[in-house]
Amino acid sequence: MPGEPLLVAESLARGFGEGEGRLELFSALSLTLGAGEAVAIVGPSGCGKSSLLHLLAGLDRPDAGRVLVDGKDWASLAPEPKARWRGEAVGFVFQMHHLLPELTAEENVALPLLLAGVADSAARAQARELLARVGLVRQATSLPRILSGGERQRVAIARAVVRRPRLLLCDEPTGSLDAAHAADVLDLLLGTARERAGALLLVTHDPGVAARCGTVLTLSSGGLVPA
Amino acid sequence: MVAAAAFVGLVLGVGALVLSLALLSGFQAHVRTRLAEEAPHVLVAPAGRPDFTAAEGAAAKLALLDGVVSVTPVVRGRGWITARGQAVPAVLVGREQRDGIRLDPAQARQLSILAGEDVTIVSSRTRLSPLGPVPLTASIRVTEVAALATGRKQPEAVLPAGMARRLFGLPEGGATGFELRLSDPEAAPAMALAVREALGAETTATTTWQEANRPLLLALRLERVAIFATVFLVVIVAGLNLAATSAVLAATRRGDAAVLTVLGASPRLLGRIFLFAGLLLGFAGTLAGLGLGFVLAVVLDATHAIPLPAELFALAHVPFRPAARDLLAVGAFSLVWSFVSSFVPARMAARVDVTEALRAG
Ligand SMILES: Nc1ncnc2c1ncn2[C@@H]1O[C@H](COP(=O)(O)OP(=O)(O)O)[C@@H](O)[C@H]1O
Ligand SMILES: [Mg+2]
Repeated sequence: MPGEPLLVAESLARGFGEGEGRLELFSALSLTLGAGEAVAIVGPSGCGKSSLLHLLAGLDRPDAGRVLVDGKDWASLAPEPKARWRGEAVGFVFQMHHLLPELTAEENVALPLLLAGVADSAARAQARELLARVGLVRQATSLPRILSGGERQRVAIARAVVRRPRLLLCDEPTGSLDAAHAADVLDLLLGTARERAGALLLVTHDPGVAARCGTVLTLSSGGLVPA
Repeated sequence: MVAAAAFVGLVLGVGALVLSLALLSGFQAHVRTRLAEEAPHVLVAPAGRPDFTAAEGAAAKLALLDGVVSVTPVVRGRGWITARGQAVPAVLVGREQRDGIRLDPAQARQLSILAGEDVTIVSSRTRLSPLGPVPLTASIRVTEVAALATGRKQPEAVLPAGMARRLFGLPEGGATGFELRLSDPEAAPAMALAVREALGAETTATTTWQEANRPLLLALRLERVAIFATVFLVVIVAGLNLAATSAVLAATRRGDAAVLTVLGASPRLLGRIFLFAGLLLGFAGTLAGLGLGFVLAVVLDATHAIPLPAELFALAHVPFRPAARDLLAVGAFSLVWSFVSSFVPARMAARVDVTEALRAG
């Protein structure tokens, strides 16, 4: 739907713990992300950036407020459709690659397709194509443990986008990489998002990385404020 | 490593079960075959009278019955075997075509006598002499010292039928009973009926080999049940081990479960994946265990790897006979148990708290 924002978060509140020890991360956080937008979220460690991403991906439930992806409210979905929608609509990249250690690069990338019921050969073909795009043809049959950090992260990105999700959420995707690799990975993420008319939301510590996104927001206890 | 330990545990449990059952089957098959081989299949005895006379032609009538392979007249009685002033009471069995006497090892031991020496048989019957009644006696050479089939309550000494008739006062051609061997030992009960019909149900009694050895056969069956129950516990423990492993697996792979969730796997699918992993482990372990038990049983049997003291057991080595029925039962049980054992951990994995798991991993 044109004009419809891809991601809407309304008055999100999330905290952990009870009573005295309760930690309130944010209490009225709102965010809207449209197609083609790239937003970076920055903030000190422990301020709740990862927690926010988990809420946006429907992996966690907010204490208050709601999250809609392409018009669908996570809270309104039963476990099965919720899982299906997440696989279809959201690509997620972690700081640590989180590749499955027993699977080759190709199999890791094919995994979301396999989980969605795509036939093995078709899934592998798409995975190889995508690995070629991130420059890892040679490494397709390698296990994650023999890949370099940058290569692993590129595999993880290929895996996140293999189902062509319109929303890409990245939790410090360059956090474990050196500057050169970080630039590579960032190029890839921005390129992918732009190409698909999707939206990119990334959390980072790195002001350089943040600067390459169109919008930079700082997470504080009040919510998101322009940096 | 945890998975490997559970795998090995399951393999050993299933293997042990297969091997024990093979051992049991081996021994039981051995005992049963020996019983059927050595014991007469049907014992025919007179009822309400002491013996069969030659005039009756009982032997000929029995030989005519369909399925009877041989009819052996026997002359059975009680007496003593004496040698060097020692005497042991004995069941004496007279058979045709036999020279000398065969003693049971127990009898020979009591008399301190070896094959080749002579003994004197004293009958429980007497004849009248000028000095009053004196027992009938006969002297005979010991030609053999050997145990008879298992399941005999009392040791028996076997001597020539003619001598037995003289000792027990039977006329020529008389017999106190007949031993039948059949083409099919399992058909003994039906044959017993036919025998009583042929010779007169009133005056004939029969005992099949199964009846004669009923306590032994029952014991064999009980033993089987007992071993089954005992060793099943091993497999149950192996299965619990598998459950524990699946739980550990689910816990250690929480991170992976979380990542799969992020990639769009539903809780149901996650549960299936972990259940499948547990089942795979159980399936492989069961299969390997069945193979191990089977191969061990065959090898141990073929190589006569475990010798037995022959005097005690009448067979030189421990027999193993893996039965298809046992393999199937053990396999099926182990698989079902693996499934049950993997089920709960799989549900745990399906309910993984993603944010928690991602924070931890
Ligand atoms: N499941 C949880 N239970 C308790 N505390 C949590 C949980 N998740 C996050 N926290 C706490 O919330 C805070 C924010 O965590 P996180 O979102 O990971 O921060 P960031 O990604 O910005 O470094 C931290 O203090 C963390 O300890
Ligand atoms: Mg974080």
